[in-house]
Amino acid sequence: MNIFQQLIQQAIIDGVSVQTVVLLLLLPLVASLVAASRHIIGFKGFGILIPTAIAMALVFTGVGTGLIVFAVILLSATYSRYLLRKLHFHYLPRMALLLWFVSLATLAMIMISPSLGLMQLTTISILPIIILVLLAEEFIGVQIGKSLKEAARLTLETLIIALVGFLIFQSQFLQEAALTYPHWVALTPVLINLLVGRFTGLRLLEYWRFKRIIK
Amino acid sequence: MLSNNNHILGMNARNQIYLQLNKMSGRKIADSKLLTKKRLTKAGLPTPKLLAVFKNSRELAQFDWLKLQENFVIKPVSGFGGGGIIVVRKRAKLAGEWFLMDNSKVNIGDLRFHALDILSGQYSLHDLPDFVMIEERIKIAKVFRNYAYQGTPDIRVIVYNKVPVMAMLRLPTVQSNGKANLHQGALGVGIDLATGITTYAYSQLAGKFIKNIPDSNRKINGIRLPYWNEILTLAVKTQEAIPSLGYMGVDIVIDKDRGPLVLELNARPGIEIQNANLAPLKKRMERVEGLEVRDAQHGVKIAQTLFAARFADRVMADAGIKMINIHETVKLIVNKQRQEITAKIDTGAWRTSIDRDLATKLGLLENGNIIRTKKVKSSLGYDERPLINLSYYLAGRKIHTIAGVAGRRSLKNQIIIGRRDLQGFLVKP
Repeated sequence: MNIFQQLIQQAIIDGVSVQTVVLLLLLPLVASLVAASRHIIGFKGFGILIPTAIAMALVFTGVGTGLIVFAVILLSATYSRYLLRKLHFHYLPRMALLLWFVSLATLAMIMISPSLGLMQLTTISILPIIILVLLAEEFIGVQIGKSLKEAARLTLETLIIALVGFLIFQSQFLQEAALTYPHWVALTPVLINLLVGRFTGLRLLEYWRFKRIIK
Repeated sequence: MLSNNNHILGMNARNQIYLQLNKMSGRKIADSKLLTKKRLTKAGLPTPKLLAVFKNSRELAQFDWLKLQENFVIKPVSGFGGGGIIVVRKRAKLAGEWFLMDNSKVNIGDLRFHALDILSGQYSLHDLPDFVMIEERIKIAKVFRNYAYQGTPDIRVIVYNKVPVMAMLRLPTVQSNGKANLHQGALGVGIDLATGITTYAYSQLAGKFIKNIPDSNRKINGIRLPYWNEILTLAVKTQEAIPSLGYMGVDIVIDKDRGPLVLELNARPGIEIQNANLAPLKKRMERVEGLEVRDAQHGVKIAQTLFAARFADRVMADAGIKMINIHETVKLIVNKQRQEITAKIDTGAWRTSIDRDLATKLGLLENGNIIRTKKVKSSLGYDERPLINLSYYLAGRKIHTIAGVAGRRSLKNQIIIGRRDLQGFLVKP
């Protein structure tokens, strides 16, 4: 056993939550996936933070509930931005009001979830949801200057990436690998990003985008 | 399929390779419409007239809006994607009120509010505070009148290594609300670099090619852009004025009276222009990489020679210009008979020169045909070379010339065509 394996084992024996260890080790892998999905596949999505945060949140809320939470946050953020634009406020107070709107909408949803039969929402840890609420500002920032069709496309791409990220977090194989071969799991993102970072070829979606030129 | 995808410029290659050619100082100029204007004006290049600049709310408050007549545009200096731009068309009946392009009305209060938004950074990157710029509105040139909706079209030229490598016309549409922005629905129309004639129209939003202007039968291809040579030259001169931008997009508008003006620059031009032209951009840039381009005119000429569309040959023939390759089959006219032979087009030579043996064989050295002899210094020492009358067909044109005769047996070509005979021809390098 090498030093990393020993350290991980010792930490768990000492009481560190297994889930914490596994999630932290797999997190860079998911982030690398997001990077690869942009430069190799051509998905744009909402950057790195949001897909990764959604993937993480889905681990705690489950897919169905998680997507509903995401939808509520996204829609309330978009709608409130539309309303707030009419007010000629300074930027930061405007964003704070946006967060106010989104928080209240999320709270309302959690409160009515028992009556809708969505019991998971009432019992889960609130942290991942709060992270998503805080990221509402990022959602908005990306939407500026884009048409509805493009914003919808970005949202869809983000969800696809987040779902794959979720599968990575949930994968039995990868979870065990994180515990038994932490050094490999920690090293893989470095390798992935070294390759992706220098890649100058066409993105997969670009083959489709420029299909008419590729005679 | 594999051969062509390496020639298409994708985002990865654009960001990793070509955007690296733009230094920070250059990007700073391109991202600020004010710095762009200053630099171009200093270089003597034409831009739309600047009417006012507000750097803070005090300058905004001190401005007399009634001084503005009509036809002006309010822009954020560091704006992008066409955001935050208000285009005022003409005055309304009351002083202090104006009509916009869509005939909605605005007053001083509205414009002031908008200027304050711009100053607070609403339309700039990272919401950093910005300056406000008021420019004259460039009215649509006659040639575009039936093609653009409520806005002025512009022509984007990508310049690389002082060569204009690709260009497209951006037509505002109903969808784009009169903006010439592809992301918002404007049409991207490819332009043949040699002739300035439009080729294909592509809608990025719809993801398909469009033949006619919506709700009309007007074909979008086949429009001949006026001032085409000036437009290309202006684009290259712009890069010469800002050498810290090695790969840039120059957006040019055509003013009714002044001709082409530089509207703004783009240090990160998009790659959709390839779809509008149905041509790969990376291939073109690799083609002109490392070429020593003397000046703007040279760069334009290179582009027009290398990147002409297939139909350009016919059009340029109308203009009296014929394109030929370095090796061409010529038909020598001897005793009313045609003799075909492969010639090398040598722009380094002044006079056409024919191999002595060949000339003898064809009977060109018979006495009536020799005009005089000329002492010529060659790599083999002094030589006596007869000058003869020679007639031949080159690319379908009949040429009567006086050719030199030399022993060229050891050289590959039995005949080389020199500059003296190449008036009206363009040689593809």
